[in-house]
Amino acid sequence: MSAGFERLRRAAPVTARIVGAVFGGYALGALASVAALALPISAPQAVITGMLASFVVYACAVIWMFLARSARRAWAGLLIAAAPLALAAWSAASAASAAGGLLP
Amino acid sequence: MKPTRNAKPQGRGVRQSMSDLHTWAGLLAGWLLYAMFLTGTVSYFKDEISQWMRPEIAHQRVTPDPAAVAQRVTDTLGTVAAGSSEWFMQLPTTRSNVVDSFWRTPDWQPGKRAFQDATFDPSTGAKVVARDTLGGEFFYRFHFQFYYVSPIWGRWLAGLCAMFMLVAIIRGVITHKKIFVDFFTFRWGKGQRSWLDAHNALSVFGLPFHLMITYTGLVTLMMMYMPWGAHVALTTPAQQQALDRQVSAFLPPGERAGVKAPLAPVDAMVREAQARWGRDNVASVLVTNPGDTQARVVVSRGVSARVSTSPEYLLFDGASGKLLDVKDRVGAAAQTRGVLYALHMGRFGDLPLRWLYFIVSLAGTAMVGTGLVMWTVKRRQKLPDPERPHFGFRVVERLNIASIAGLSIAMTSFLWGNRLLPASLAGRADTEIRIYFVVWLATLLYALARPARRAWIELLWLAAALLALLPVLNALTTQRPFWRSVADGDWVFAGFDLMMWALAALHAALAVRSARHRPRANAADRRRAVALRHQEDA
Amino acid sequence: MMRLVALLLCVFAFACLAMAMARHQDTVFGGPLSVTRTRGLRVAGWGALLGALWLLVADQGWALGLVYYSGCTSVAAGIVYGALVGWERRLAAR
Repeated sequence: MSAGFERLRRAAPVTARIVGAVFGGYALGALASVAALALPISAPQAVITGMLASFVVYACAVIWMFLARSARRAWAGLLIAAAPLALAAWSAASAASAAGGLLP
Repeated sequence: MKPTRNAKPQGRGVRQSMSDLHTWAGLLAGWLLYAMFLTGTVSYFKDEISQWMRPEIAHQRVTPDPAAVAQRVTDTLGTVAAGSSEWFMQLPTTRSNVVDSFWRTPDWQPGKRAFQDATFDPSTGAKVVARDTLGGEFFYRFHFQFYYVSPIWGRWLAGLCAMFMLVAIIRGVITHKKIFVDFFTFRWGKGQRSWLDAHNALSVFGLPFHLMITYTGLVTLMMMYMPWGAHVALTTPAQQQALDRQVSAFLPPGERAGVKAPLAPVDAMVREAQARWGRDNVASVLVTNPGDTQARVVVSRGVSARVSTSPEYLLFDGASGKLLDVKDRVGAAAQTRGVLYALHMGRFGDLPLRWLYFIVSLAGTAMVGTGLVMWTVKRRQKLPDPERPHFGFRVVERLNIASIAGLSIAMTSFLWGNRLLPASLAGRADTEIRIYFVVWLATLLYALARPARRAWIELLWLAAALLALLPVLNALTTQRPFWRSVADGDWVFAGFDLMMWALAALHAALAVRSARHRPRANAADRRRAVALRHQEDA
Repeated sequence: MMRLVALLLCVFAFACLAMAMARHQDTVFGGPLSVTRTRGLRVAGWGALLGALWLLVADQGWALGLVYYSGCTSVAAGIVYGALVGWERRLAAR
């Protein structure tokens, strides 16, 4: 019983990294694609820019999740990177809703 | 029993954990990526493959005048697609001798397919009289959305694999810092090391291409993968259309006026386009609301010599024929997207450039393939008893064989099916595709039944035989044997036969090499393998 | 025509650069070359690479030129590489 629990404990950091990489990385890329809307360019161009950049962000996030010295640092880095992007995304989203139309 | 703490990652080092990442990512996605790479590689010649798969259509020496073709097909669509709100036709090029066309289903109900399609003969405008086949389009579509799964799921799966590949490439560059020193070193024929070197060599040489092709592949479907920015910013249909116009010439049909008016001559519109862009540089014609006073005709520019797929078109009033708008530029981000998309498609180049694409892409396929084989070789040497691998390993080994040798056999069988299936068979195109998958599955079952090494050798020889005999089958079942094609100057058919022989030789060479390679698993070699492994990780 | 010349230039360039490496000097010449010769090879190699780029861009424009250049360098590197492998194998067989 305790051997099984030990195996789980050992697997936890790697699992955390994998989850962070696959899903957290995507989320960061998605966040970046919305944050791009804060750029001072027209909406369609900003949307496209965000999409183009998002894959690079995703790839870098995945690399980071395995590069970091511990799973904890990896997740911390992810959240730190997400903070400014979230801010930019939130301000862009409220600007978009203020301009008209329904928020999803 | 005292619980043991797990080893901290620092001890293993950053590069070691990157190596593990590469291994896991590579294996999970490897089989799919190999198939994507190989079908993608052949897709650079998909029009030629389609020509070969419709041998009834004579060799097209001169591209027919696009204007005349457009008019003929428009007239046909007036009957065949009557009541439809939108028609689209792809005009023939030097590479394609048919007109691919689709239109919105008239009186569409949910549950029915939204679009109908057909292939027309450019010289008559009537439906092409040839065997029913998907042609090279099958490999092309399989490449990014697979088959027998919904296109959406298929594209997501392809995108996931592409992300793995992108990560693997970046990681590969970071890990192999020494690569530019090791660049021109190679040790030949020494078991696992030489596979690693072959893999590294192919990876390094094709690096600019692989990085480009992976990233641009994601870009081609980015609207689906990352729609969030569009969801947030573009909330009205007008805003959404503003984005669509930056990336596509496929304008949606506008409001009908309800007043009948015959469509103005389309050939005149195409001639205006030819005057601007060149006789053979008109790609397609889109008609919305035909037969109504609000009809519109969009004539799009060809892709040759233009490294961008951004929409460039002439917009005409469908009823009067008047030129309403000239679209020749898009915003900076959209132009970047257009260039990246075009780089992936590789349609802008002439024949030498397309061959370059093909060769480097084939090398990329080999890169993925050697990676898969290398994984197996490496893992086998790590096993406690390499002569008796555990079940999981044996399955992985067989999947390798089916994914690589089996895929060649499946793709060649698709072509064999095209020559052997009777023309009158109902659902012929689907049967050709079914043969592809059934044969692929059969190769997996065969590989499971045989010892791994023998399965490799036998299946590679089978692939070589099927490839070499395909031109013979062609000579027996059509009027276009190799010598006739050469005499006629038909280099599509002649080149196809030559390519089959070249690929047959390649598979034979691989079979011979596999037969010569004898894995030795005695203790001394295991020690050496362990030492080599430590060397690599250093 | 230009494209063929560019490809040949790239092959020449990679051959020079490879020959500027100690390992390959040992293989091909049986020993290291002088520092001047090595430097000369490096200059020739990089110069030829730049020359090929200039040729292609002048002939095809920046967009197509860069794409062609990317393909040329990949293929040329592969050719030189394959030649070196063949050379080493011949030596090992002797």
